[in-house]
Amino acid sequence: MDTKSKVRDVLVNLLKVKPDELKDDLTLQESIGVDSTEMVESVIALEKSFGVKLSPKEITKNSTVNDIANNIQSKLAK
Amino acid sequence: MDKIAVTGIGVVSPSGIGKRQLWANIKSGRSFIKEITRFDASKYPSRIAGQIDDLEKYSTISERLLKKIDAFSHMALIASELALQDAGIDIKNEDPSLVGIFLGNAIGGWLYAETELRDMYIEGREGVSPYMASAWFPAAPQGQVSIYYGIKGFSKTVVADRASSLMALGYARKVLAKNKLNMILGGGMEAPVTPYALLCCNTYGALSKDNSHPQEAYRPHDKKRNGFVIGEGSGIVVMESIERAKKRQANILALISGYGTTCDGVDRINSAKDGKELARAINIALVDAKANINEINYISLDGLAVDIWDNSEVLALKEVFGSRIKEIPVSCPKSMFGNLLGASGALDMIIAIQAMEHALVPPTLNLDEPASNGLNYIGKQAKEHTIRKALIISRGRGGINSALVVEKGSNNA
Repeated sequence: MDTKSKVRDVLVNLLKVKPDELKDDLTLQESIGVDSTEMVESVIALEKSFGVKLSPKEITKNSTVNDIANNIQSKLAK
Repeated sequence: MDKIAVTGIGVVSPSGIGKRQLWANIKSGRSFIKEITRFDASKYPSRIAGQIDDLEKYSTISERLLKKIDAFSHMALIASELALQDAGIDIKNEDPSLVGIFLGNAIGGWLYAETELRDMYIEGREGVSPYMASAWFPAAPQGQVSIYYGIKGFSKTVVADRASSLMALGYARKVLAKNKLNMILGGGMEAPVTPYALLCCNTYGALSKDNSHPQEAYRPHDKKRNGFVIGEGSGIVVMESIERAKKRQANILALISGYGTTCDGVDRINSAKDGKELARAINIALVDAKANINEINYISLDGLAVDIWDNSEVLALKEVFGSRIKEIPVSCPKSMFGNLLGASGALDMIIAIQAMEHALVPPTLNLDEPASNGLNYIGKQAKEHTIRKALIISRGRGGINSALVVEKGSNNA
């Protein structure tokens, strides 16, 4: 599975949102109205799932799925 | 103080979800107390309860929200929705700053908390859901209901053990009588059927251990009483001024007309033996309601099925009502579904309102031989009887006494 699909999977399963609500090119705030606690939860779940360290400053309500996938991808490549 | 109208009822209980289902089961005297199946309770001294198994069936709450809240908030959300529907109120048409929420709860949301605490000890800090902080505490349902409907008016959660919800209703009436709000969602919720909460209830030492006969275990005021049985659920009503209710041509189901509360102040767990402070709370409620003892036609008992509590309740009633107590039907319908602790008073009031509507005194299960003489106990058969004014008694650990007077509603009130 590519990084973006895996990011989508993690977020959809964690936040219990419909897959089509979560748009790749919109911010999490815009597409699913994510709240700050959901962001804390998302960062931890993504860290666990990809085995990378992510800071809550890198991944925010204003990140898109594309942004998150690119960020994780670049860390995995190092 | 003004009487306040009750115009909508929402209830989630082991005896049914929604007021019609609840009343059908109450009037026929069916017991819903059974062995706990949610978790392995086999090692607990008391392992029976009034449990709700099919909450999701009645819920429109999204999975996204459900994973953030405890069962007691879920119950309060369903009860609130049912109450608003029953009252014919669309909250979108209300001024949110003039709508309030007054709920009672005794123990908080432990089903959620226990799971997260277990994860904390196994996985460490990061194993704990960030929603834990906002899911477990007693005021969480108030918060969730306010977010769900966008309610922004003066609101409060009352924590006063088993007296919590009756106290919340008493305070809600006071706030409405002062014209501070247009309407209030008032009542309570409790979800104690969890491993830790059940353990705490067990160590309190007042639960019935008659596990082999769940339906006969809870015996309020009976000679063979041996403690109470817990139950879970929520009872929430819509409260508003009579004037507003009439203006919007609402169905006035009942009027809350009096409330009184006192403390025994003698023991950290038990009530006082003499019932004097409970009697004073009842007298305060009667004076507040401008009701004399001859006008009360039904009394809903606290009925903990523990000697000191039941005996002091009888003493208090005899002190207040004198020889008249022999004529007033009294009963304890929670013997059918369990003591909902912080939500028990709200359920008792809701049942009393239904009793008034149907002119039928609800039964008490297992009251085969009263431990005290002189009260007009209604046993396992409901009894036809016109009720104009009812007294509800709800008491909490350490000797918290609360009493509420509720009157039959009509649009001519």
